[in-house]
This record gives sequence, structure tokens and C-alpha cells, in this order.
Amino acid sequence: MKAQKKLHKKSDWKAAYLLMSPALILIFVIAIYPVLQSMYFSLFDYKLNDPTKASTTRHYSLDLNRYLDNAPFLMADLKNDATKASGEPKATLTKINQQLTTIDNEIRKESGDRYNKVNDILNNYKTPSEKLSIVTISKSTAEAIQKATDQVTKQLKALNQNTKVLSNAKKDIGLASGLEDTLNKPNFIGLKHYAHFLKDSRMWAAILHTVVFTVISVAIEFVLGLAIALLINKAFFGRGLIRAAVLVPWAIPTAVSAMMWKYLYDGQSGIIAKFFEKIGLIHNMGTLLTTGDGAMFSVILTDVWKTTPYMALLLLAGLQVIPKSLYEAAAIDGANKWKQFLNITLPLLKLSILVSLLFRTLDAFRVFDLISVLTGGGPANSTETISIYAYKVMFSETDFGSGSALSVIVFICVAIISAIFVKLLGSDLLPEGSKK
Amino acid sequence: MEKKAGVSFYLFLIVFVFVIMFPFLWVFLSSFKPPTELYGSQAFNWIADHPTLNNYVSVFVDYPFLNYLKNSFIIAASTTIISVLFASFAAYALARLRFRGKSVILGLTLSVTMFPQISTLSPIYIILMHLGLTNSYTGLIIPYITITLPLSIWILVTFFRKIPQELEESAKMDGATLMQTYRKIIFPLAVPGIFTTAILAFIAAWNEYLFALTINTDEAYKTVPVGISMFSGQYSVPWGEICAATVVVTVPLVILVLIFQRRIVSGLTSGSVKE
Repeated sequence: MKAQKKLHKKSDWKAAYLLMSPALILIFVIAIYPVLQSMYFSLFDYKLNDPTKASTTRHYSLDLNRYLDNAPFLMADLKNDATKASGEPKATLTKINQQLTTIDNEIRKESGDRYNKVNDILNNYKTPSEKLSIVTISKSTAEAIQKATDQVTKQLKALNQNTKVLSNAKKDIGLASGLEDTLNKPNFIGLKHYAHFLKDSRMWAAILHTVVFTVISVAIEFVLGLAIALLINKAFFGRGLIRAAVLVPWAIPTAVSAMMWKYLYDGQSGIIAKFFEKIGLIHNMGTLLTTGDGAMFSVILTDVWKTTPYMALLLLAGLQVIPKSLYEAAAIDGANKWKQFLNITLPLLKLSILVSLLFRTLDAFRVFDLISVLTGGGPANSTETISIYAYKVMFSETDFGSGSALSVIVFICVAIISAIFVKLLGSDLLPEGSKK
Repeated sequence: MEKKAGVSFYLFLIVFVFVIMFPFLWVFLSSFKPPTELYGSQAFNWIADHPTLNNYVSVFVDYPFLNYLKNSFIIAASTTIISVLFASFAAYALARLRFRGKSVILGLTLSVTMFPQISTLSPIYIILMHLGLTNSYTGLIIPYITITLPLSIWILVTFFRKIPQELEESAKMDGATLMQTYRKIIFPLAVPGIFTTAILAFIAAWNEYLFALTINTDEAYKTVPVGISMFSGQYSVPWGEICAATVVVTVPLVILVLIFQRRIVSGLTSGSVKE
């Protein structure tokens, strides 16, 4: 479609990209990059409240500060004891020392001049900075350290039980077993969070709640919204007033309307709860917010009240660009209202309908404010949607790794829903002009 | 569809408006009730026996509500200005200029409007924390642009498209440059569209909850939605204050919507070519 255009007009791509660059840069930096980052976080055991897991690391690292406070003293002691000992214990001690020296040489090699720098600082009884003292080391060295920790501790314990060669037995065993603590292990765990959530019943319940909420509320909102749009798309006295009335619920913050409805649903003083009890919809006023079904019903009702106007607004916009002349012509040809609706309104409104359904479905699927304020996901997690679950994991449990995994799951669901709609809409989704 | 409405139609409208407005009406009436009439047997009376303005006084005296309003206004207004400005440039390019990759960029913009906010929350939170921008205006304006910018581009592209191309082409033929065409022809015609976009962007930023809840936890930087949702009393939920605060937030909005709904509608229709 663009190929035909290019024939008679040259491309304005330079001006176009110049005009678009601020918007594009912003979108990349604050929307696309964070999503990728979320995906990255989800591969780590990333917990803000745990100092060893408070950042994402893929490599082993060694804290030279702690290492140099440990290994050299251990090696010196063992060397000392070895010179005094004889026979088998001497051989064991020498062997241990060799093992530790090999590791030490490897660390010196991998940390470069920082090994000596940190050592100098420590010899001056000062504390080196974290930046200087934490060095990345290879996996093999890290594994050698872990292996040595176990072996050396065991061997020293055995020596201490059977012989008296160790002059500082307690201290040396302590140092040996502490060797491993100088290591920082990578918290990269691959897809483990996802594997966990696939088997997590709370996650599946959250998905189910989200789907139930989305399907029911969007279906009701669409039917009501279309009816309202058709109704107010004609001349009548006070049309502006009606339009404003329809717009108000949509315009106020969701959190505020959720708070308002919480009052109306209240088990003691809620008028709506009282009304539902009077007409026999519920047994007693408390049912609405204290039972699972009641809470889900309340949440859906509030959403319908709040977003039907939005739906109507979108559809009304679509209705208003349908030329009135079409209806006039149809009326002259003798088409009745219903026929006009089927043959003019619906086909010309198809795009608006699909677009508004798409936006509403996605909005409903990522619902957070309404449920967070109205029920908090309760009672007993019965209205907990996937976004609420993700939020709780991230900010109540400060577990950013698995929380991010949940947020990526939301993202994937949203992508699937969008893909379905895009398939239905095809290129119609892009503004008409791409074809014009 | 032009047909004069009958009496039954107006009756229906009255019922319809009553249903939509009932929650507001009830909250409005409740906001004048003293505590004794908010709870217990009198809770379901329409009009308070002893109406009082104490709830309103309390909202501003016992809670930093005025500060919440100020924070929300500064954040939403800044977000709106930034996103509508950049969006109008981008939308003009997308609607009018010819270049490769247009549908890719449109598709990208559209997909960004569909991003679930929760999926960007943890990295944005971490970044803002490292930059020391949590509990600040900038800390919320930045993520809000994620929400309003793609939305604004999307709406504006549609608006720009509705402006008759013939005008622009004749301007080009008369030798006007790109910027002249934009300033003299497109922009004046797009004002209603830009205005509508600004209203929608402002409302989106004003109403946002998730980022506000997470990033600005300090009382001094809380916005209205988070502030109201955290109203809590010593013994029970302070419904009186909550109702009063809701009224304070809603009344200006009702007035704004009453004024602007005409503009929104005219903005939606004036751009299109009359056929």
C-alpha cells in the first residue's frame, strides 16, 4: 500500500524521524527497557531484603577483604604445625597447604593487582571499599573453594581428634569452615520461578479470578455501552447533561470510586448492601464483602458502573463519524431502524467495537486499583487477580525475582489476548491512513 | 437517527441518570452526616437530621488532603504537557509524512499502550530508587509518561488523519514548508483534538494508582487516589471523611466534564470531512 504512494511523493523520513525521536526515545527508555528488565529479573533469586540476594549477579565473586582475613592466617598456622609434626599428620598438613596455595594462586591470578592492593589496605588496619574488595572469579575457582572448605574442615577435625599436631585447632577449624563465606554465589536460577508458578495453585486461582472478572465485566459493559451510545447519539433536549453524567464515573479515579463503593457495600452501613438484602439478592448485608462470590460480584458491579461510560464514549465516537446521509438514504429506501443498525451501524462500527473491546479487555485483565482498594484481593484471596498477586510478592514479600516472573506472566497473557484481537482486526487496527 | 424523543424516552433517561449518579448522590448526602448518623440505625436515612460540615473540616485539618491535591495536580499537569507536546510531533509525522517503518512504529506504540503496568513496575522502582527519585514529583512523572505518551500519540494520529489532506496539499503547492504547513494549517485544525488528548492524558495521570502507591510512599508526596484509599480512623473506617473527600474530588470533575464534554464531542467531530 505504501509502494503506490512512493511513486509520486518522495520520502520525508528525515523530518519524520526527527519529529518522532523524543517520543520514541521516551517509549524505549521507560516502557520497553523496563519490560525487558522485568524478564531479566525473573531469572534471578532476587530479594531486596536479603543482602546476599539484593542484586542480580550471574558470576561468582569473592570478597577479598574477608578472604585475606582468613586464608593467609589458616595457611600460616598449618605451615607452622607441619614443620613441627612428622609422619602421616605432616603429610596431611602439607597436602592441605598445597591445596590452599593452589587456590590462593588462582585467586591472585584472577583478581590481578587488586589482591595486593586490598592486602596493603588491610595491613594498614583500614577497610577496603566494597568496589575494590569484591572481585569476580571463575566458576572452577569458586567450586575449588567450596570443595576445599568441606575437605579441609573434615581433615582438620579428624587430625584434631586423633593427634595433637594442631596448635590452634579451634581457630583453624573455624577459619577453614568460614572459607566458603567469602564467596558470593550467583543468584541466577534460570526458569525456576516459572517452574514453581506453573505448579502453584495460588497462581492458577489468580489467573482464574482474572479471567472470570475480565470476561463477565467486559461482556456486560459492551452490551450496555453500545446501548447507551446508540441512545445518546441523537438529538434530544439535555443531551449534554446526559453525556456529562455518563462521563463522570469514568473520569473519577478508580481508587476513589472503589473507596466510595466500599462504603456502599459496607456490611453495617452500606446502602447498596441494604438494598440487595431487601430485594432478596443476598441473605444478609455482610455477604457482599465477606464471601468470595459476594466480593467478586461487588468488584464486577463496580467495574461495570465505572467503565460502561468509557465503552459508550468510544463507541459514540465511532457512531458519530458515520455520515448521517447514509441513514437518510437508507430511510428513503425504506429500511427500518433494525435494518439500518445491521447494515449501516454495525459494519461501520466494527472497528470501533473491536478496538474498544481490545482496550477494555486488556484494562480488565491487568486490573489492580479497583480490587486492591475494594477487597485487597480478599476475602481469603478469592478476588486476587494476577496483578495483585504479583504486587504482593514484590512489595509485601520484597521478592522481586518471583514477583517479576508473575509480572512477566501477566505480560505474556496480555500479549496473547492482543495477538487474538490483532488477528481479528488485521491491518484495520492501524489508523486508516496507513492505507490512505 | 435524527428523531425527536418522546416522554417515555425522557422517563427512561431520568432512571438511567439516577442509577449512574446514585452512588455520588448518596456519598454527597452522607458527607453531611455526623458520626452518630453514619453508623447504626440512622445510616440509611437520606437526609441527615443534624447536618454538619465537620467531615469537610476534618478532611483538610486532620488529613494532608490539600497537599494530596497539590501533588496530584502538579504531577498530572506536567505529565500532560510533556506527553501531549512530544506526542503531537510524533503523531503528525505518523499521520502525514511518508517514510519507511511507519506501520512498525504505529504497531509498537499501540503495543506499548497495552503493556501491563505491573510488568514495568519492578525495574522502574529499582531505577528510581537508585536515582533517589522515589518520593518526588519526577519519580511519578517519568512512569506516567509511559502511560500517557503512547495513548496521546494514538489518539492524535487519528485526529490528524481526519484533517482534510486537500488543505495541506494546496498549502504545499503554494510553496509552504513542512513547519509552516504544520503551524498554519494542521495545528489550528487539530486544537480540539489536542485539547481532547490533553484532557484524556490528564485524567489518566490524575487517576493512576499503582505507581503512586509504590513510588511515593511518603505522606508529603502522596497523590489523591492513594491518599483517599489510605484514610483510616482510630476505631472504625472514617466514612464521613471519605465521603467528604470524594465530594471534594468529584465536584470539580463534574463541572469540568459538564464544560468539556461539548469540546470533547466537537473535537471528535470537527476534524472529519463533512461528506
